[in-house]
Amino acid sequence: MVLLVSGLVAGLILAACSTVAGSGDIDATGRFQGVELSEPTPKPSFVLTDTAGQPYDFQASTQGKLTLLYFGYTYCPDICPVHLAQITSVLDRNPPLRENTEVIFVSVDPGRDSPEVIRNYLDGFSEDYIGLTGSMDELRTAEEALGVPAAILGDTSDPDYLVGHAAQVFAWAPDGLGYTMYPFGTRQSEWAHDLEVLANLGGER
Amino acid sequence: MNWSWWCTSSLRPWRWELTLYPGVWVVVGALLVLYFRLARNKVLARSQKIYFLLGVLTLWVASDWPLGPLGAGYLASAHMVQFVLYAMVAVPLMLMGTPEWMMRRVLARLRLYRITRRVTGSLLFSGILYNALLVTTHAPITVDTLRAGQLGSFAMDMLWIATGLVLWLPVLSPIPEFRAKTYLARILFLFLTTSVIAVIPASALTFGDFPLYNTYELAPRVFDITALEDQQIAGLIMKVATIPITWLAIGVMFFRWARQEGVPSTQPRHVDS
Repeated sequence: MVLLVSGLVAGLILAACSTVAGSGDIDATGRFQGVELSEPTPKPSFVLTDTAGQPYDFQASTQGKLTLLYFGYTYCPDICPVHLAQITSVLDRNPPLRENTEVIFVSVDPGRDSPEVIRNYLDGFSEDYIGLTGSMDELRTAEEALGVPAAILGDTSDPDYLVGHAAQVFAWAPDGLGYTMYPFGTRQSEWAHDLEVLANLGGER
Repeated sequence: MNWSWWCTSSLRPWRWELTLYPGVWVVVGALLVLYFRLARNKVLARSQKIYFLLGVLTLWVASDWPLGPLGAGYLASAHMVQFVLYAMVAVPLMLMGTPEWMMRRVLARLRLYRITRRVTGSLLFSGILYNALLVTTHAPITVDTLRAGQLGSFAMDMLWIATGLVLWLPVLSPIPEFRAKTYLARILFLFLTTSVIAVIPASALTFGDFPLYNTYELAPRVFDITALEDQQIAGLIMKVATIPITWLAIGVMFFRWARQEGVPSTQPRHVDS
Protein backbone atom coordinates (compact mmCIF):
# COMPACT_ATOMS: atom_id res chain seq x y z
CA MET A 1 0.00 0.00 0.00
CA VAL A 2 2.84 2.36 0.89
CA LEU A 3 4.49 1.58 -2.45
CA LEU A 4 1.22 2.18 -4.29
CA VAL A 5 0.72 5.57 -2.67
CA SER A 6 4.40 6.45 -3.20
CA GLY A 7 4.03 5.63 -6.88
CA LEU A 8 0.89 7.74 -7.07
CA VAL A 9 2.64 10.71 -5.49
CA ALA A 10 5.65 10.37 -7.79
CA GLY A 11 3.38 10.13 -10.85
CA LEU A 12 1.37 13.15 -9.85
CA ILE A 13 4.46 15.19 -9.16
CA LEU A 14 5.94 14.28 -12.54
CA ALA A 15 2.64 15.10 -14.23
CA ALA A 16 2.49 18.45 -12.43
CA CYS A 17 6.09 19.27 -13.36
CA SER A 18 5.58 18.33 -17.01
CA THR A 19 2.44 20.48 -17.16
CA VAL A 20 4.35 23.46 -15.86
CA ALA A 21 7.37 22.90 -18.07
CA GLY A 22 5.32 22.21 -21.15
CA SER A 23 3.01 25.15 -20.80
CA GLY A 24 5.59 27.69 -21.87
CA ASP A 25 7.39 25.76 -24.57
CA ILE A 26 7.01 26.47 -28.24
CA ASP A 27 6.52 23.28 -30.17
CA ALA A 28 8.48 23.68 -33.37
CA THR A 29 6.88 20.71 -35.11
CA GLY A 30 3.23 21.37 -34.27
CA ARG A 31 1.43 24.08 -36.20
CA PHE A 32 -1.35 25.54 -34.12
CA GLN A 33 -3.21 24.82 -30.91
CA GLY A 34 -6.22 26.88 -31.93
CA VAL A 35 -8.80 25.72 -34.44
CA GLU A 36 -6.91 25.43 -37.71
CA LEU A 37 -8.78 26.41 -40.87
CA SER A 38 -8.93 23.84 -43.64
CA GLU A 39 -6.98 26.24 -45.83
CA PRO A 40 -5.48 29.69 -45.24
CA THR A 41 -7.93 32.45 -46.09
CA PRO A 42 -7.11 35.99 -47.19
CA LYS A 43 -7.88 38.87 -44.90
CA PRO A 44 -11.32 40.27 -45.78
CA SER A 45 -11.96 43.84 -46.79
CA PHE A 46 -14.42 46.10 -44.99
CA VAL A 47 -14.50 49.62 -43.64
CA LEU A 48 -15.85 50.59 -40.22
CA THR A 49 -15.41 53.59 -37.93
CA ASP A 50 -12.73 53.70 -35.24
CA THR A 51 -13.04 55.27 -31.79
CA ALA A 52 -11.66 58.58 -33.11
CA GLY A 53 -14.54 58.69 -35.56
CA GLN A 54 -12.30 58.02 -38.56
CA PRO A 55 -12.95 55.42 -41.27
CA TYR A 56 -10.88 52.30 -40.69
CA ASP A 57 -10.05 50.13 -43.68
CA PHE A 58 -9.43 46.80 -42.01
CA GLN A 59 -7.38 45.18 -44.75
CA ALA A 60 -5.18 48.18 -45.53
CA SER A 61 -4.66 49.30 -41.92
CA THR A 62 -3.50 45.92 -40.68
CA GLN A 63 -1.27 45.01 -43.59
CA GLY A 64 1.92 43.22 -42.58
CA LYS A 65 0.83 42.79 -38.97
CA LEU A 66 -0.33 39.89 -36.91
CA THR A 67 -4.01 40.72 -36.53
CA LEU A 68 -6.64 39.50 -34.09
CA LEU A 69 -10.27 40.44 -34.62
CA TYR A 70 -13.20 39.88 -32.32
CA PHE A 71 -16.89 40.77 -32.54
CA GLY A 72 -18.32 41.66 -29.16
CA TYR A 73 -19.90 44.37 -27.07
CA THR A 74 -18.79 46.29 -24.04
CA TYR A 75 -21.75 45.26 -21.87
CA CYS A 76 -20.91 41.58 -22.45
CA PRO A 77 -20.84 40.02 -18.98
CA ASP A 78 -18.67 37.00 -19.64
CA ILE A 79 -17.05 35.95 -22.91
CA CYS A 80 -15.78 39.29 -24.28
CA PRO A 81 -13.88 40.42 -21.17
CA VAL A 82 -12.37 36.97 -20.70
CA HIS A 83 -11.18 36.76 -24.33
CA LEU A 84 -9.64 40.23 -24.12
CA ALA A 85 -8.07 39.52 -20.72
CA GLN A 86 -6.52 36.31 -22.06
CA ILE A 87 -5.01 38.04 -25.10
CA THR A 88 -3.82 40.97 -22.98
CA SER A 89 -2.10 38.70 -20.46
CA VAL A 90 -0.20 36.91 -23.21
CA LEU A 91 0.83 40.05 -25.09
CA ASP A 92 1.85 41.86 -21.89
CA ARG A 93 4.42 39.15 -21.28
CA ASN A 94 5.88 39.42 -24.77
CA PRO A 95 6.53 43.09 -25.68
CA PRO A 96 8.07 42.40 -29.13
CA LEU A 97 5.00 40.36 -30.07
CA ARG A 98 2.73 43.02 -28.67
CA GLU A 99 4.35 45.71 -30.83
CA ASN A 100 3.58 43.78 -33.99
CA THR A 101 0.08 42.70 -33.13
CA GLU A 102 -3.12 44.58 -33.86
CA VAL A 103 -6.02 43.64 -31.63
CA ILE A 104 -9.30 44.81 -33.11
CA PHE A 105 -12.58 44.79 -31.24
CA VAL A 106 -15.68 45.30 -33.35
CA SER A 107 -18.70 46.27 -31.28
CA VAL A 108 -21.91 44.76 -32.61
CA ASP A 109 -24.01 46.84 -30.22
CA PRO A 110 -23.93 50.35 -31.72
CA GLY A 111 -26.97 51.38 -29.71
CA ARG A 112 -25.03 51.39 -26.44
CA ASP A 113 -21.42 51.26 -27.60
CA SER A 114 -20.55 54.76 -28.72
CA PRO A 115 -16.91 55.31 -29.79
CA GLU A 116 -16.21 56.82 -26.34
CA VAL A 117 -17.71 53.84 -24.54
CA ILE A 118 -15.67 51.44 -26.67
CA ARG A 119 -12.48 53.43 -26.08
CA ASN A 120 -12.99 53.48 -22.31
CA TYR A 121 -13.71 49.76 -22.32
CA LEU A 122 -10.64 48.85 -24.38
CA ASP A 123 -8.37 51.15 -22.38
CA GLY A 124 -9.11 48.89 -19.45
CA PHE A 125 -7.14 46.24 -21.34
CA SER A 126 -4.76 48.22 -23.55
CA GLU A 127 -4.69 51.68 -25.04
CA ASP A 128 -3.25 50.12 -28.21
CA TYR A 129 -6.33 48.07 -29.00
CA ILE A 130 -8.44 49.32 -31.86
CA GLY A 131 -12.19 49.65 -31.39
CA LEU A 132 -14.51 49.72 -34.36
CA THR A 133 -18.20 50.29 -34.82
CA GLY A 134 -20.63 51.20 -37.55
CA SER A 135 -24.23 51.09 -38.62
CA MET A 136 -26.02 47.75 -38.41
CA ASP A 137 -25.61 47.39 -42.19
CA GLU A 138 -21.88 48.09 -42.03
CA LEU A 139 -21.48 45.64 -39.19
CA ARG A 140 -23.45 43.04 -41.10
CA THR A 141 -21.10 43.50 -44.07
CA ALA A 142 -18.11 42.89 -41.82
CA GLU A 143 -19.74 39.82 -40.26
CA GLU A 144 -20.56 38.42 -43.70
CA ALA A 145 -16.98 39.01 -44.80
CA LEU A 146 -15.87 36.83 -41.89
CA GLY A 147 -18.61 34.28 -42.47
CA VAL A 148 -20.19 34.62 -39.06
CA PRO A 149 -23.90 34.96 -38.33
CA ALA A 150 -25.26 38.42 -37.64
CA ALA A 151 -25.35 39.47 -34.02
CA ILE A 152 -28.77 39.24 -32.42
CA LEU A 153 -29.79 42.02 -30.07
CA GLY A 154 -31.96 41.10 -27.11
CA ASP A 155 -34.94 43.11 -25.95
CA THR A 156 -33.50 46.60 -26.33
CA SER A 157 -36.20 48.09 -24.10
CA ASP A 158 -34.30 46.45 -21.21
CA PRO A 159 -31.19 48.57 -20.53
CA ASP A 160 -29.25 45.40 -19.65
CA TYR A 161 -30.16 43.49 -22.81
CA LEU A 162 -27.78 40.81 -24.02
CA VAL A 163 -26.39 40.38 -27.51
CA GLY A 164 -25.85 37.04 -29.20
CA HIS A 165 -22.65 37.25 -31.24
CA ALA A 166 -19.83 35.21 -32.72
CA ALA A 167 -17.58 34.15 -29.84
CA GLN A 168 -14.40 33.27 -31.72
CA VAL A 169 -11.33 35.41 -32.27
CA PHE A 170 -10.02 35.45 -35.85
CA ALA A 171 -6.28 35.60 -36.45
CA TRP A 172 -4.28 36.60 -39.51
CA ALA A 173 -0.55 36.23 -39.83
CA PRO A 174 1.58 39.12 -41.11
CA ASP A 175 1.46 37.46 -44.55
CA GLY A 176 -2.21 38.46 -44.68
CA LEU A 177 -3.61 34.95 -44.41
CA GLY A 178 -5.87 33.58 -41.74
CA TYR A 179 -4.83 30.18 -40.47
CA THR A 180 -6.72 29.77 -37.27
CA MET A 181 -9.53 30.95 -35.06
CA TYR A 182 -9.92 30.76 -31.32
CA PRO A 183 -13.18 29.83 -29.62
CA PHE A 184 -14.00 30.77 -26.04
CA GLY A 185 -11.98 28.54 -23.76
CA THR A 186 -8.65 29.04 -25.50
CA ARG A 187 -5.95 28.89 -22.84
CA GLN A 188 -3.17 31.45 -22.44
CA SER A 189 -0.57 28.78 -23.14
CA GLU A 190 -2.32 28.06 -26.46
CA TRP A 191 -2.45 31.74 -27.33
CA ALA A 192 1.24 32.19 -26.51
CA HIS A 193 2.17 29.23 -28.67
CA ASP A 194 0.10 30.20 -31.68
CA LEU A 195 0.83 33.92 -31.67
CA GLU A 196 4.55 33.15 -31.84
CA VAL A 197 3.98 30.78 -34.76
CA LEU A 198 1.67 33.20 -36.56
CA ALA A 199 4.00 36.17 -36.05
CA ASN A 200 6.71 34.31 -37.90
CA LEU A 201 4.60 33.64 -40.98
CA GLY A 202 5.75 36.45 -43.26
CA GLY A 203 5.57 40.18 -42.61
CA GLU A 204 8.07 42.57 -41.06
CA ARG A 205 9.04 40.65 -37.94
CA MET B 1 -32.38 35.24 -4.82
CA ASN B 2 -29.98 32.69 -6.34
CA TRP B 3 -29.35 29.38 -4.66
CA SER B 4 -27.83 25.96 -5.29
CA TRP B 5 -26.95 23.05 -3.03
CA TRP B 6 -23.18 23.48 -3.26
CA CYS B 7 -20.79 25.98 -4.87
CA THR B 8 -19.52 25.24 -8.37
CA SER B 9 -17.59 26.99 -11.11
CA SER B 10 -19.61 29.49 -13.12
CA LEU B 11 -19.32 31.67 -16.20
CA ARG B 12 -21.51 34.35 -14.64
CA PRO B 13 -19.65 37.48 -13.64
CA TRP B 14 -18.97 37.72 -9.93
CA ARG B 15 -21.40 39.94 -8.04
CA TRP B 16 -21.57 40.76 -4.37
CA GLU B 17 -25.10 39.38 -4.19
CA LEU B 18 -25.90 36.82 -1.54
CA THR B 19 -26.34 33.30 -2.91
CA LEU B 20 -27.81 30.59 -0.72
CA TYR B 21 -26.15 27.18 -0.35
CA PRO B 22 -28.48 24.99 1.73
CA GLY B 23 -26.16 21.98 1.32
CA VAL B 24 -23.57 23.82 3.40
CA TRP B 25 -26.14 24.53 6.12
CA VAL B 26 -27.16 20.86 6.17
CA VAL B 27 -23.56 19.73 6.69
CA VAL B 28 -22.84 22.38 9.34
CA GLY B 29 -26.18 21.76 11.06
CA ALA B 30 -25.67 17.99 11.03
CA LEU B 31 -22.27 18.35 12.69
CA LEU B 32 -23.67 20.57 15.44
CA VAL B 33 -26.72 18.39 16.05
CA LEU B 34 -24.59 15.25 16.16
CA TYR B 35 -22.08 16.82 18.56
CA PHE B 36 -24.56 18.21 21.06
CA ARG B 37 -26.82 15.19 20.86
CA LEU B 38 -23.94 12.86 21.69
CA ALA B 39 -22.83 15.25 24.42
CA ARG B 40 -26.24 15.26 26.11
CA ASN B 41 -25.99 14.18 29.75
CA LYS B 42 -22.20 14.07 29.48
CA VAL B 43 -19.65 16.40 30.97
CA LEU B 44 -17.81 18.32 28.29
CA ALA B 45 -15.06 20.84 29.00
CA ARG B 46 -15.98 24.37 28.02
CA SER B 47 -12.77 24.65 25.99
CA GLN B 48 -13.76 21.56 24.00
CA LYS B 49 -17.12 23.05 23.10
CA ILE B 50 -15.43 26.28 22.06
CA TYR B 51 -12.85 24.48 19.92
CA PHE B 52 -15.54 22.44 18.20
CA LEU B 53 -17.76 25.44 17.57
CA LEU B 54 -14.81 27.41 16.18
CA GLY B 55 -13.98 24.46 13.91
CA VAL B 56 -17.54 24.27 12.58
CA LEU B 57 -17.63 28.04 12.18
CA THR B 58 -14.43 27.86 10.11
CA LEU B 59 -15.94 25.09 8.00
CA TRP B 60 -19.03 27.20 7.41
CA VAL B 61 -17.06 30.33 6.48
CA ALA B 62 -14.89 28.31 4.07
CA SER B 63 -17.88 26.69 2.35
CA ASP B 64 -20.60 29.33 2.21
CA TRP B 65 -20.98 32.60 0.33
CA PRO B 66 -18.81 34.48 -0.49
CA LEU B 67 -15.67 32.39 -0.02
CA GLY B 68 -17.30 29.15 -1.22
CA PRO B 69 -18.34 30.33 -4.69
CA LEU B 70 -15.23 32.50 -5.09
CA GLY B 71 -13.04 29.46 -4.44
CA ALA B 72 -15.15 27.09 -6.49
CA GLY B 73 -15.30 29.15 -9.63
CA TYR B 74 -13.47 32.46 -9.70
CA LEU B 75 -10.17 32.68 -7.83
CA ALA B 76 -7.45 30.11 -7.31
CA SER B 77 -6.33 32.17 -4.31
CA ALA B 78 -9.77 31.81 -2.70
CA HIS B 79 -9.64 28.09 -3.49
CA MET B 80 -6.35 27.91 -1.58
CA VAL B 81 -7.71 29.90 1.37
CA GLN B 82 -10.55 27.37 1.50
CA PHE B 83 -8.06 24.50 1.57
CA VAL B 84 -6.09 26.10 4.40
CA LEU B 85 -9.26 26.75 6.38
CA TYR B 86 -10.58 23.22 5.89
CA ALA B 87 -7.44 21.16 6.35
CA MET B 88 -5.33 23.36 8.60
CA VAL B 89 -7.86 25.16 10.80
CA ALA B 90 -11.30 23.51 10.89
CA VAL B 91 -10.10 19.91 11.20
CA PRO B 92 -7.60 20.45 14.06
CA LEU B 93 -10.09 22.64 15.94
CA MET B 94 -12.82 20.03 15.64
CA LEU B 95 -10.43 17.29 16.73
CA MET B 96 -9.43 19.37 19.76
CA GLY B 97 -13.11 19.82 20.58
CA THR B 98 -14.00 16.15 20.34
CA PRO B 99 -13.69 14.01 23.48
CA GLU B 100 -12.22 10.53 23.18
CA TRP B 101 -15.44 8.69 24.03
CA MET B 102 -17.36 10.64 21.38
CA MET B 103 -14.88 9.90 18.65
CA ARG B 104 -14.81 6.21 19.57
CA ARG B 105 -18.59 6.10 19.42
CA VAL B 106 -18.78 7.86 16.04
CA LEU B 107 -16.07 5.67 14.50
CA ALA B 108 -17.74 2.53 15.85
CA ARG B 109 -21.12 3.59 14.50
CA LEU B 110 -19.64 4.38 11.07
CA ARG B 111 -17.42 1.26 11.15
CA LEU B 112 -14.39 3.44 10.51
CA TYR B 113 -12.24 2.50 13.50
CA ARG B 114 -10.15 -0.14 11.74
CA ILE B 115 -9.39 1.93 8.66
CA THR B 116 -8.53 4.95 10.80
CA ARG B 117 -6.24 2.79 12.91
CA ARG B 118 -4.60 1.48 9.76
CA VAL B 119 -4.09 4.95 8.26
CA THR B 120 -2.62 6.34 11.46
CA GLY B 121 -0.69 3.16 12.28
CA SER B 122 2.32 4.21 10.23
CA LEU B 123 3.54 7.79 10.21
CA LEU B 124 5.28 7.17 6.90
CA PHE B 125 2.03 5.99 5.37
CA SER B 126 0.08 8.94 6.83
CA GLY B 127 2.67 11.37 5.51
CA ILE B 128 2.63 9.88 2.03
CA LEU B 129 -1.16 9.72 1.97
CA TYR B 130 -1.48 13.35 3.07
CA ASN B 131 0.84 14.51 0.31
CA ALA B 132 -0.85 12.28 -2.27
CA LEU B 133 -4.20 13.84 -1.35
CA LEU B 134 -2.66 17.32 -1.34
CA VAL B 135 -1.16 16.94 -4.80
CA THR B 136 -4.20 15.15 -6.22
CA THR B 137 -6.75 17.64 -4.95
CA HIS B 138 -4.72 20.56 -6.31
CA ALA B 139 -3.92 18.98 -9.69
CA PRO B 140 -5.55 21.01 -12.49
CA ILE B 141 -7.39 18.01 -13.90
CA THR B 142 -8.98 17.26 -10.51
CA VAL B 143 -9.94 20.85 -9.77
CA ASP B 144 -11.31 21.52 -13.26
CA THR B 145 -13.29 18.28 -13.28
CA LEU B 146 -14.70 18.33 -9.77
CA ARG B 147 -15.44 22.04 -9.54
CA ALA B 148 -17.66 21.88 -12.65
CA GLY B 149 -20.54 20.21 -10.79
CA GLN B 150 -22.14 20.44 -7.36
CA LEU B 151 -21.50 16.82 -6.46
CA GLY B 152 -17.86 17.00 -7.56
CA SER B 153 -17.36 20.27 -5.75
CA PHE B 154 -18.85 18.77 -2.59
CA ALA B 155 -16.54 15.74 -3.02
CA MET B 156 -13.53 18.04 -3.30
CA ASP B 157 -14.41 19.84 -0.06
CA MET B 158 -14.92 16.52 1.73
CA LEU B 159 -11.59 15.29 0.35
CA TRP B 160 -9.93 18.33 1.90
CA ILE B 161 -11.47 17.45 5.26
CA ALA B 162 -10.16 13.91 4.83
CA THR B 163 -6.75 15.36 3.95
CA GLY B 164 -6.81 17.40 7.14
CA LEU B 165 -7.75 14.34 9.19
CA VAL B 166 -4.85 12.34 7.73
CA LEU B 167 -2.49 15.14 8.77
CA TRP B 168 -3.85 15.92 12.21
CA LEU B 169 -4.99 12.55 13.58
CA PRO B 170 -1.43 11.37 14.35
CA VAL B 171 -0.86 14.69 16.14
CA LEU B 172 -4.12 15.69 17.82
CA SER B 173 -6.40 12.69 17.84
CA PRO B 174 -8.42 12.38 21.05
CA ILE B 175 -7.92 8.60 20.73
CA PRO B 176 -4.44 7.88 22.08
CA GLU B 177 -3.68 4.90 19.84
CA PHE B 178 -4.14 7.06 16.74
CA ARG B 179 -1.49 9.53 17.89
CA ALA B 180 2.23 9.09 17.35
CA LYS B 181 3.69 7.72 20.54
CA THR B 182 6.09 10.55 21.37
CA TYR B 183 6.01 14.30 21.02
CA LEU B 184 9.23 14.13 19.03
CA ALA B 185 7.59 11.80 16.50
CA ARG B 186 4.57 14.10 16.23
CA ILE B 187 6.75 17.17 15.75
CA LEU B 188 8.88 15.49 13.10
CA PHE B 189 5.79 14.09 11.36
CA LEU B 190 4.09 17.48 11.17
CA PHE B 191 7.23 19.26 10.02
CA LEU B 192 8.26 16.75 7.37
CA THR B 193 4.74 16.10 6.09
CA THR B 194 3.87 19.74 5.53
CA SER B 195 7.17 21.18 4.42
CA VAL B 196 8.74 18.85 1.86
CA ILE B 197 6.46 17.65 -0.96
CA ALA B 198 3.98 20.50 -0.50
CA VAL B 199 6.62 22.87 -1.86
CA ILE B 200 6.30 21.28 -5.32
CA PRO B 201 2.65 22.13 -6.10
CA ALA B 202 3.07 25.50 -4.36
CA SER B 203 6.08 26.30 -6.55
CA ALA B 204 4.25 25.13 -9.68
CA LEU B 205 1.54 27.64 -8.88
CA THR B 206 3.87 30.46 -7.91
CA PHE B 207 6.38 30.13 -10.73
CA GLY B 208 4.24 28.78 -13.58
CA ASP B 209 4.42 30.76 -16.82
CA PHE B 210 0.71 30.36 -17.47
CA PRO B 211 -2.42 29.72 -15.43
CA LEU B 212 -2.74 26.01 -14.72
CA TYR B 213 -6.43 25.81 -13.85
CA ASN B 214 -8.93 26.08 -16.68
CA THR B 215 -11.60 26.97 -14.13
CA TYR B 216 -9.90 30.09 -12.80
CA GLU B 217 -8.22 31.14 -16.05
CA LEU B 218 -11.51 31.36 -17.95
CA ALA B 219 -13.63 32.70 -15.13
CA PRO B 220 -14.82 36.30 -15.30
CA ARG B 221 -12.18 38.34 -13.51
CA VAL B 222 -12.64 39.49 -9.93
CA PHE B 223 -10.81 42.34 -8.14
CA ASP B 224 -8.93 43.33 -11.33
CA ILE B 225 -6.18 40.77 -10.90
CA THR B 226 -5.10 38.59 -13.79
CA ALA B 227 -5.47 34.82 -13.73
CA LEU B 228 -1.70 34.42 -13.42
CA GLU B 229 -1.40 36.88 -10.51
CA ASP B 230 -4.27 35.10 -8.80
CA GLN B 231 -2.49 31.78 -9.24
CA GLN B 232 0.76 33.21 -7.86
CA ILE B 233 -1.12 34.42 -4.77
CA ALA B 234 -2.58 30.91 -4.44
CA GLY B 235 0.91 29.41 -4.53
CA LEU B 236 2.11 31.85 -1.87
CA ILE B 237 -0.87 31.06 0.35
CA MET B 238 -0.14 27.36 -0.01
CA LYS B 239 3.50 27.96 0.92
CA VAL B 240 3.19 30.64 3.57
CA ALA B 241 -0.21 30.29 5.25
CA THR B 242 0.46 26.79 6.51
CA ILE B 243 3.75 27.79 8.16
CA PRO B 244 2.38 29.69 11.21
CA ILE B 245 -0.24 26.99 11.82
CA THR B 246 2.20 24.09 11.76
CA TRP B 247 4.80 26.01 13.77
CA LEU B 248 2.22 26.99 16.35
CA ALA B 249 1.30 23.32 16.70
CA ILE B 250 4.96 22.33 16.83
CA GLY B 251 5.62 25.01 19.47
CA VAL B 252 2.72 23.85 21.65
CA MET B 253 3.83 20.23 21.37
CA PHE B 254 7.40 21.19 22.19
CA PHE B 255 6.39 22.94 25.41
CA ARG B 256 4.09 20.10 26.40
CA TRP B 257 6.93 17.69 25.77
CA ALA B 258 9.22 19.83 27.91
CA ARG B 259 6.62 19.96 30.68
CA GLN B 260 6.11 16.21 30.48
CA GLU B 261 9.82 15.70 30.85
CA GLY B 262 9.71 17.89 33.95
CA VAL B 263 12.16 20.43 32.58
CA PRO B 264 11.37 24.12 33.15
CA SER B 265 11.06 25.49 29.65
CA THR B 266 13.01 28.69 30.35
CA GLN B 267 15.79 27.15 32.44
CA PRO B 268 18.78 25.20 31.18
CA ARG B 269 18.69 21.56 32.18
CA HIS B 270 20.97 20.70 35.12
CA VAL B 271 22.05 17.15 35.57
CA ASP B 272 23.24 16.22 39.05
CA SER B 273 25.97 13.68 39.13
